[in-house]
Amino acid sequence: MTTESTHRQYAIEEYLVTSEPYYEPLNDEVALFEAAYAEKIPVLLKGPTGCGKTRFVEYMAYKLGRPVTVMRNSADGSKNGEESGMPLITVACHEDLTASDLVGRYLLEGDSTRWMDGPLTRAAKVGAICYLDEIVEARKDTTVLIHPLTDHRRLLPIEKLGQIVEARDGFILVISYNPGYQSALKDLKHSTRQRFMAIEFGYPPRELEAKIIAKEANISEAIGLELAKLGEKVRHLKEHGLAEGVSTRLLIYAGKLMHEGISPRRACQVAVTWALTDDADVQRSIEEVVSSIFE
Amino acid sequence: MSRQRKRIYSSYEKKLTPFSTSLVAEFRRAADEIGDLMSDDELRAWADQGLDLARQSWRSWEAAGEYYRVTPQVLPLLGSVGFQRWAKHGLDLAELSSALAASFFRASPVTLPAITPARIGDWVGLGRLLYKGTWRSASLAVQFFDGSPALFAKLSAEEARILVRFVDALCDRSYDLASHCLTIAAQALEPLEGDDRSAFLTFAESLASTGWADARSYLEKGPALLASIQAMQRGRFLNLARELARREGRQAFAFFAEASRALAQVDQESHGLLLSLAEELVERSPLAAMEFLKTAPMALERIPIETIAEWHAEGSALLDQSSDGGEAYFRMESSRGEDMLEALSSRVELSRISDILRMYSKALTGFEVAVHSSEALAEKGIGWVEGDAPSTEGSAIFLPPHVEEFQDKDQNFGVYKVYCTHQAGHLEFGTFEFEFERDGAIFPTERIKAEAERPPPEPAPPIDTDGHVDAPGEVTPPPGPLTDMERFFDIFADRKLASDLFAIVEDARIDVLISREYGGIRRQYGDRQSRELDRRPEASQLPVRQAFVENLVRASLGGRDRIVWPGQLMPVMIEAIGVLETLQQPQALVEDSAEATLRLYRLAEGIANVMPEMLEDWAEMSEGDLNVSPMSAESLGNDAQVDMPQGEPMPYESPQPVDFRGEFKPETVQMLMKLRQERDEKGQASPISPEQLKQMLEKSVEITIADMAQADLTQSSELFLTNLIKELNQKQDQRPGKEQPMPTEDGQPVTGMSTGDDEHELPVEPKYFFYDEWDFRAGDYRPRWCRIVESPVAEGQTSYYEQTLAKYSSLVAQTQRQFELLRPEMYRKTKRLLDGEDLDFDAVTEFAIERRARVTPNPKIYWRRNKIERDVSVAFLLDMSASTDEEIAKHERRYQKDDFDDDPRRYFSWWMARRAQELLTPPKRIIDVEKESIVLLITALEAIGDDYGIYGFSGYGRDNVEFYVVKDLDEALSDRVKKRIDKIAPVRSTRMGPAIRHATAKLEAHDSKVRILFLVSDGRPQDHGYGRDRTEKEYAIHDTHMALMEAKRKGMVPFCLTVDRYGHDYLKQMCQDIGYEVVPDIESLPSRITTLYRQLTT
Ligand SMILES: Nc1ncnc2c1ncn2[C@@H]1O[C@H](COP(=O)(O)OP(=O)(O)O)[C@@H](O)[C@H]1O
Ligand SMILES: [Mg+2]
Repeated sequence: MTTESTHRQYAIEEYLVTSEPYYEPLNDEVALFEAAYAEKIPVLLKGPTGCGKTRFVEYMAYKLGRPVTVMRNSADGSKNGEESGMPLITVACHEDLTASDLVGRYLLEGDSTRWMDGPLTRAAKVGAICYLDEIVEARKDTTVLIHPLTDHRRLLPIEKLGQIVEARDGFILVISYNPGYQSALKDLKHSTRQRFMAIEFGYPPRELEAKIIAKEANISEAIGLELAKLGEKVRHLKEHGLAEGVSTRLLIYAGKLMHEGISPRRACQVAVTWALTDDADVQRSIEEVVSSIFE
Repeated sequence: MSRQRKRIYSSYEKKLTPFSTSLVAEFRRAADEIGDLMSDDELRAWADQGLDLARQSWRSWEAAGEYYRVTPQVLPLLGSVGFQRWAKHGLDLAELSSALAASFFRASPVTLPAITPARIGDWVGLGRLLYKGTWRSASLAVQFFDGSPALFAKLSAEEARILVRFVDALCDRSYDLASHCLTIAAQALEPLEGDDRSAFLTFAESLASTGWADARSYLEKGPALLASIQAMQRGRFLNLARELARREGRQAFAFFAEASRALAQVDQESHGLLLSLAEELVERSPLAAMEFLKTAPMALERIPIETIAEWHAEGSALLDQSSDGGEAYFRMESSRGEDMLEALSSRVELSRISDILRMYSKALTGFEVAVHSSEALAEKGIGWVEGDAPSTEGSAIFLPPHVEEFQDKDQNFGVYKVYCTHQAGHLEFGTFEFEFERDGAIFPTERIKAEAERPPPEPAPPIDTDGHVDAPGEVTPPPGPLTDMERFFDIFADRKLASDLFAIVEDARIDVLISREYGGIRRQYGDRQSRELDRRPEASQLPVRQAFVENLVRASLGGRDRIVWPGQLMPVMIEAIGVLETLQQPQALVEDSAEATLRLYRLAEGIANVMPEMLEDWAEMSEGDLNVSPMSAESLGNDAQVDMPQGEPMPYESPQPVDFRGEFKPETVQMLMKLRQERDEKGQASPISPEQLKQMLEKSVEITIADMAQADLTQSSELFLTNLIKELNQKQDQRPGKEQPMPTEDGQPVTGMSTGDDEHELPVEPKYFFYDEWDFRAGDYRPRWCRIVESPVAEGQTSYYEQTLAKYSSLVAQTQRQFELLRPEMYRKTKRLLDGEDLDFDAVTEFAIERRARVTPNPKIYWRRNKIERDVSVAFLLDMSASTDEEIAKHERRYQKDDFDDDPRRYFSWWMARRAQELLTPPKRIIDVEKESIVLLITALEAIGDDYGIYGFSGYGRDNVEFYVVKDLDEALSDRVKKRIDKIAPVRSTRMGPAIRHATAKLEAHDSKVRILFLVSDGRPQDHGYGRDRTEKEYAIHDTHMALMEAKRKGMVPFCLTVDRYGHDYLKQMCQDIGYEVVPDIESLPSRITTLYRQLTT
């Protein structure tokens, strides 16, 4: 019995970034990443949540896959035949992520078992970009597993199979890390850290962020600017009632709500104020900033 | 005179002579006067009565003398029958005491007309009431009779009766007091009217039986206090007071005094209503009624009289449930009372919103800006004087303590917001970053040239310390300007004018930038501006130069259409508006404001400050006048040629201030900022030379010496300098950018004064936090009741720490090992999962079997290891009360004493042994064991890697709960921490509640899965005022329990450990279902505490 699935579904290695993601470079990160890729240096992306790290990786995947010509998808969204982009495998790390989750495991099939590669193994085999998002969230024993892949030989031992996979050309390991959580427990181990080059991401400057928000939320640059201003002001409250500043992502959400006709103050309330904190006083002060900026 | 009469006279004179010649004289004088009215028999009877009196006792002839003397006055008043009765009273009194009789007779002529003859008996009765047979009582009764003429002239018989009863009641306590009260009574009661007197006296009577010591104060001060109460309501008030005295006794007078003083503060019109409301309560609790009256003025400051009944109703309902609760409500010592008032009030208190505004300002500016009351700024004595104007001194924003302009709370908050935004604007848009030599963005720089062209200042003769002017010739060149702002103002001959102009343009610039950056606040801002415009003074009534400045203020408020100006001078005004509007562009910098000031000053200089009548054509400026072609920044403000009428110019006065812009002192702020910066760079605040300061004070128009102190310049500048240094030292820990203490939920940090008691260390400023306290009687919190004063423990030597480690080396090693074992990450294998790390062999086998058996197999065939991460933080809270100073030996002895009671020899030998031992080693105190336990704990905690904080607490009274930091939760173990342990020492009392709440707040701010609050104490909680009186223990236990429960509700694990053997008694009540342990053997504390901790966290 088969059911027609209504959602799109890809085998991991087939997930290609096929249309150019919108990415606004903040600095020279594009050039740095290209250089790292060429030299097979693993990359650590540092920065607070929602500041564009994932988007950047997607953008690089796309860019690296089409070094010479950029081909657009035809209007109906179907691929125009040619393979485009680089495969990108993203793993969101969490505290229960185990080695098997990354490398692979046996599955029971009928009366026998079948081995299934995990995302890391697949990435190594096909030569994809493997992006381990929020690496510090993962268990420390898991993190160690990636060490051999970052060596110059780029190997992935699979204990259970008694095999060693050599990463194919094109494979690159990218991890992200949010230094904002200043908890000793959530610090990246030095032995891990020292294997990556690091690109630091911050929130974009006001004008640029305004542009990003406007584009992503499909609103006017003027409103984008007001939202970016709000972002800037609210970020002043970091460590001062707020654990983290407001992310570009949340500002985009607020913009999108406005695009849908929600009043600006209300949109900011639900997408920014309430999303950020439960503390009544901090909420109130953010609300006052919102009402100072938006009518 | 008939012979018969003569004979009678001489026979009596003979009889009377032995007593006293003066008696004879009195007799003769009286007889002569009344002789014609009496028959011989009557005369004899009369004379005999006198003779009887005289014979009665040794000095009774005096009474007889009085009797004879007053007869001519009394007889006509009473007639002969009445006279007889009167005389009989006298005789009866004489039997008690002749002095009594004498005074009765003496007082009669004046007193009798005041009372009706029928009431003589009552009168005498009052005197007899006071007479108890002792000489003191006799003299009091005499005093009564002697004072009767005055008394009855003022009091009715009924009033006199109450007074005497009152005095009589006092006699039981003190005759002196009674006599004094009797003396002053008539005088004191004088101001009272009619019915009030008996009410007053009835209360006095109740007082006499309870608070008799206050009776005198009451009689002396009461009438004056009553006078401030609305005349019609005094009786009601006194009845309330009497009810209180009757039911509560004791402090009745204090309540009476406080309540009447309170009523004096409110409008007399409202007394009736307030008393009705109080009367509603008095049945249930006279105390609540009085508390209500006492609180009334404070409540009425915040809510209108129309709503007070609503506030009252809530408390009244509470009173039904619990009298303590209701009383606390009306005393304003309960959160309910405060909250209700807050809800009914439209007034906004700064203290309630300062946290929000602080974060708001921080968000806007990105700086650490504190928000305080303007009163605090004025108190600093560094130049600011207004206690209710918004302002900033560069590092904090100061706002009025409350705003109640509108009936609506939100609107009042809006006022605050505009105030705050404007001040934040100065910080955000760089007002105080003015640099003399930096170019603006709009106007070309002319400052430098203007400075060069300025006529050199006449060197002011230096003033020596005595204030004498030195001889000319020895002038020293004045020191250069301190700040760029000062240098800028130095350009101008009329500094006040320049300063006013700068304030206008700079405020205008800030307002423009704010409305551009903050679109949402534009409307509120505009409202403020138009309100300000509505209350500006009439420009055409001002001297002309002032009118010019006034018009600029209006224009800066968006009121171009409100400009009133003489037509013939119109070009200058147009030019000036041009300058202002050129400045009002988004790119304008503070330097542009300076340039605009320069140009406006030139224009203003050309306008003589003559009386407005000298010019005729005052008119509103028309739009046409203003629609001149836009002028370029280059040319503006340069042609100031005007034809001014000739006239005597008036002295220039500054314009009326604009409320929402507040006090603006850029020169002073720059100086403060410069000093702060120097201090931060050089590490100390050794600012300016006194000469520089004196010079600045002389020049500056921002600081008016006269406002600061009534002293000469030298003294004032010294005072100013002292204040300045104090201010700088105080801010030591608060430089911008440095982390401010985190605000906690209810503990709000407030800046305090520097302690500065240790010369060698930088004074560490204590941080203050406020916490509510639980009043179990009221069933409510007392809001912001306790003040925590947090400071680190002083530092001693690290050797203490090392020695303790050495002393306990084996225990240390053992503990370390135990704890290290806990350390490695632990995993728990979870089986039967749908998905996991690997297949579980048993489950797979089952799966296969079930499938073969055609049973639906259980698909949960995976297992996974889940890490159990240790994520623990703990705050140790150490009792540092004075009782920990107790030697352990004594402590033990306290419990053992009973055993020795029967056998003194046993006790003695035990004691001898103990003494011998004490000579060898100094006696160990409880605190010493606590300290050693801490050292051991530290090794354990370091081994396991938990986050931990170590705190001590003590203090005295609710205002001063000391909270000592040995090691803060996020502080790493360091030598400084070790040094602090050395200095842990017993201090004072034990107010546990607030200390627990503060430690809870610290833990709360610390992100951990498991958070433990570990309390180590040596006895029950107790402190001054921690309970109804000194002996009460309940209150403290309840508050502590509540504090522990709060911690538990917030997800902490509280645990109490005590070395008090009798701890079980109260710990059961204090902790209930919270864990606790009593460690009876104090010496085992170090090992026990670590064991307990281990058990608690695994
Ligand atoms: N430089 C950028 N260019 C384009 N979009 C961006 C940029 N930075 C952030 N964004 C937007 O912010 C959103 C969140 O970014 P994301 O990459 O998911 O953040 P992160 O991975 O750092 O948590 C993105 O979906 C995108 O819309
Ligand atoms: Mg992301």
